[in-house]
Amino acid sequence: MGVFKLKKGYDIPLQGSAERRVKKVPKTKAIAVQPIDFRGMRPGMKVEPGDAVKRGSILFVDKQKPEILFRSPAAGTVREIVRGERRVIQRVIIDVGADSSESFDSINKAQIGKLSAAKAKELLLNSGLWPTLRQRPFDRIADFTKTPRAIFISAVDSAPLQAETDILLEGREVDFQLGIDLLAKLTDGKIHLSVSASTETFFSKITGVETHQFSGPHPAGNVGIQVHHIDRLLAGQIIWYISPRHVAQIGSFLSKGEYPAAKTYALTGSELTDRHYVKAIEGALVSDLVNTPIAADKQRVISGNVLTGQQTRADGFVGFYDDMLTVIPELTGRRFMAWVQLGFKASSFWRMYFSKLTPGKKQAPTTDLNGGERAFVSTGEYEKVVPMDVLPVHLCKAILIEDIELMEQLGIYEVAPEDLALCSYICPSKIEFGDIIEKGMQTMEKEG
Amino acid sequence: MKFLERFLNNMDKTLSEGPFKIFHPMFGAINTMLFTPGQGTTTGPHIRDAIDMKRFMGIVIFALIPSIMVGSYNVGAQAGVEGLVAAFMFGFLKLLPIIVVTYAVGLSWEMIFGYINGHEIYEGFLVTGILLPLTLPPTIPLWQVAVAVSFGTVIGKEVFGGTGMNLLNPALTARAFLFFTYPGDISGDSVWVALDGFTGATPLAAAAASTGSAVEALNSAGFTLNQMFFGFTPGSVGETSTIAILIGAVILLVTGVASWRIMLATVLGAYGMGLIVQFFGGEIAGGMRTLPAHYHLVMGGFMFGAVFMTTDPVSAAGTNVGKWIYGILIGVMVILIRVFNPAYPEGMMLAILFGNVFSPLIDHFVVQANIKRRLNYGK
Repeated sequence: MGVFKLKKGYDIPLQGSAERRVKKVPKTKAIAVQPIDFRGMRPGMKVEPGDAVKRGSILFVDKQKPEILFRSPAAGTVREIVRGERRVIQRVIIDVGADSSESFDSINKAQIGKLSAAKAKELLLNSGLWPTLRQRPFDRIADFTKTPRAIFISAVDSAPLQAETDILLEGREVDFQLGIDLLAKLTDGKIHLSVSASTETFFSKITGVETHQFSGPHPAGNVGIQVHHIDRLLAGQIIWYISPRHVAQIGSFLSKGEYPAAKTYALTGSELTDRHYVKAIEGALVSDLVNTPIAADKQRVISGNVLTGQQTRADGFVGFYDDMLTVIPELTGRRFMAWVQLGFKASSFWRMYFSKLTPGKKQAPTTDLNGGERAFVSTGEYEKVVPMDVLPVHLCKAILIEDIELMEQLGIYEVAPEDLALCSYICPSKIEFGDIIEKGMQTMEKEG
Repeated sequence: MKFLERFLNNMDKTLSEGPFKIFHPMFGAINTMLFTPGQGTTTGPHIRDAIDMKRFMGIVIFALIPSIMVGSYNVGAQAGVEGLVAAFMFGFLKLLPIIVVTYAVGLSWEMIFGYINGHEIYEGFLVTGILLPLTLPPTIPLWQVAVAVSFGTVIGKEVFGGTGMNLLNPALTARAFLFFTYPGDISGDSVWVALDGFTGATPLAAAAASTGSAVEALNSAGFTLNQMFFGFTPGSVGETSTIAILIGAVILLVTGVASWRIMLATVLGAYGMGLIVQFFGGEIAGGMRTLPAHYHLVMGGFMFGAVFMTTDPVSAAGTNVGKWIYGILIGVMVILIRVFNPAYPEGMMLAILFGNVFSPLIDHFVVQANIKRRLNYGK
C-alpha cells in the first residue's frame, strides 16, 4: 500500500456542488447510447429505427473488433439513429417502454474463482460491459487481445464539483467484490485501487486489490496521475483502467444475469437550483434528470465535469463514462475593460486579481474564454498543475512539430487530455492543451 | 456602455473587409482592450481562468510606474531644475516624446505585420514600447529612437514569427542596435544629462575610469551608495533608481508575473561573481575590480535588467531549472563584462542578450535531463 500526498494541482473554487441526498427519477422517457463517447470506435449497427429492443439487446458492435458489443440499457423502441458530419453515427435514441430484459447466465463467487482468463474475457465481451475497460496509452477501449501489466481503479474523484464515489457505490459492496474477482482474471499483474484518505467506505474490506491512498488537489484523482506515481507506464507497456462504478456494474451483471443499467448521477453546477444525486439509468435524457428549466442560450449543460465534460443540451443525453451533469452560466456579452479591473470576483489560479485575497471563495464563472489565443508563454505555472514528471509545454511543442521520437521521450504514453486540462484552464494564452494531446495520441497510434 | 459596445461590433464588421482592412489589426487591439473579446469556450475546459495576456502585460506596465516617476524627476534634478514637481515635469517632458515615438513607430510595424499575418496587435508591444525608452538616455535624438524601434521590432521579433516566437528581447535588441550604431549618443560621458553644454559621467563610467580604488573614484565624482540606491545620478531614465525598480519587483513577484527564480538567480550570480572578482581580481583590470560586490547591484542598468528584462518570459529559459542557470549565467556575465571589458563599463544589456541566445540551449539540456530521467525509470 502506498500513501501519496500530491502537492501540485489546483482545486477551482466553484459554486454548485451536489447535496448528499439521493432521489429517484420518477419516469425515464428516453435514453441514448452514443458511439461518440468511445474514442476512435466505428460502430456497426445492429438495429434500425422502429425496432423493439429489450434491456441488454445488442445495438451495435465495434466495426474493427466485432467481439466488442454495445447493449441497450433500457427496453423500448429505437426512435432515431442520429448522424453528424460525414454521416458519423452520434447516438442511438431509444424511447423507453415497459421493462423487459435479455437474460444471461448468472455466476457466483466460487464459479468466478474457477474461470479461465479466456472465459472471463468472453463473459465480459458478451455482457456489453467490455467498453467500461479502457487502456493507457491512448485512452481508448481496452484491447482484449492483449494482457495488461496491471489494472488501475481510481476511487478518488478530485474533479471540480465531483460526484462522490461513496454515494455512487452505496450498498454495492458485494457487486464490487465480484467485479474485482472477475477483473483479477484479466491480468497477471496487480489490481491497484486508489482511495482517498478522508472518507470511510467499504473499500478497506475489498480483497484481491492493492490499495493506495491519494490526497491532494485535482488532478490527484485522475487515473493517469495515479499510474505515474504507483507504477509508471513505460514505452511498449499497457495498463487497463476502469471506474469503481463500472466494477460494481460488472459484479451486478454476474450475480443477476441481466444487463445492469441502474446508475446514480450527481446534478451539479451553479445554474441548477436543486442539486442532488439522482438514481436513473445509463444514457439518461438530461431533461428527465433535471427539473430546473434550461435556456440553451443562457446555460450550458455539460455531461461530466467542467474541465473534461462534453457539451450537451436539455434534450441531450449523459455520456457513457460520466457520473455527473453540470449546468453553468453561458457567456453573455462582452465585459468592459476586464483586464484592468481589480477582480474581486475573478476566478483565477494566478495572483493577479484581488480575489486571491479570499482564497477558496467559490465563484460561478461563465463559459467566457477570457481572452484571445496567443503564443506560448513559458511562465513555469503549467508545471504547478501537473503532478507528474512531465514537461507539459515541451510535450505539446513536440506534438505540434510532430516529432514522434521526442513525443515518446517526453511522455505521450502517460498522459491523456484530462491530465493536462488544468493547463488549458490556467493558460493566459488560451492554448487548448487537450486538443494538442489528443492530436499527439492520434499521431502516435497511426505512426508509432 | 452598450452603445460603445455596439459601435465597436459594427466597426469590427466594417473593417474586416474592404479598403480599410489594414487598420483591422490596430482596431482589434483597441476593441479587445475596451471590451473582452466575447469569445466563449467551444470544448473542455468549459470555464477558463480570468487571466489573459493583457492582464499580464498591464501589470508589468504598472510595475514600471515607480521607475518612470523617479526617473523623470531625476532627469530634471540632474539638469538642475529646482522643486519636486518642476523637476518631474521637466524630466517627464523629455521622456514623453521618446515614449511617443517608440509607440508610434513600433505599433506601425506591429500593424503591418498583424495585417500580413492576419491577427490583431499583440500585447507584448505595450511593454516593449515602455521598456525601451526607460533604458535610453534622456538626450537621445528621436530619429535614432525611431530607427532602433524599427530594428528591435522587425529584426528582434517579427522575423522570428512575432510576439512569443522571438529569440531576443526586442527592447534590448533595439538598445543594442543603438549602442553599436550610434555609440556617440548613448555611451561616453557627454550624453546623460539633459542640459546643453553640461556633461556628467555615470557612476559606472567614473568607476571604470579609475585606476586605484573605484569607491574613492566614485566618491570624488560625487556618487555615494545611497545616491545610487535612490537614483539621483546621471543615467538612463528608468535605470538609475534601484529603490523604484525594487518596488516594481515587489509588484511583479507578488502578482507572480515575473519569475522569482530568474530574478534571484541573476542577483546571486552577479553578487557571487562580484565577490570573486573583488577578492581574486588581481591586477588585470583597472579600478573596477576593487568595487565591492554590492555596488554592482545598484549601478548602471543591472537592477532594471534583472527585474524587467531577464524575466521576459519569451526570451528567457522556460524550464524551472533552466531559469536558475539562465539567471546565474547573466549575473556572472554582467560582472565579467563590466570588470574585464575596458571599452564598455555597462554590461547588463549584452549579458542579457547573451543569456537570450543561450536560453534555448539551456532548456534543451534541461529537457534532455528530463528525458534521461524518464528513460532510466524502472531500470
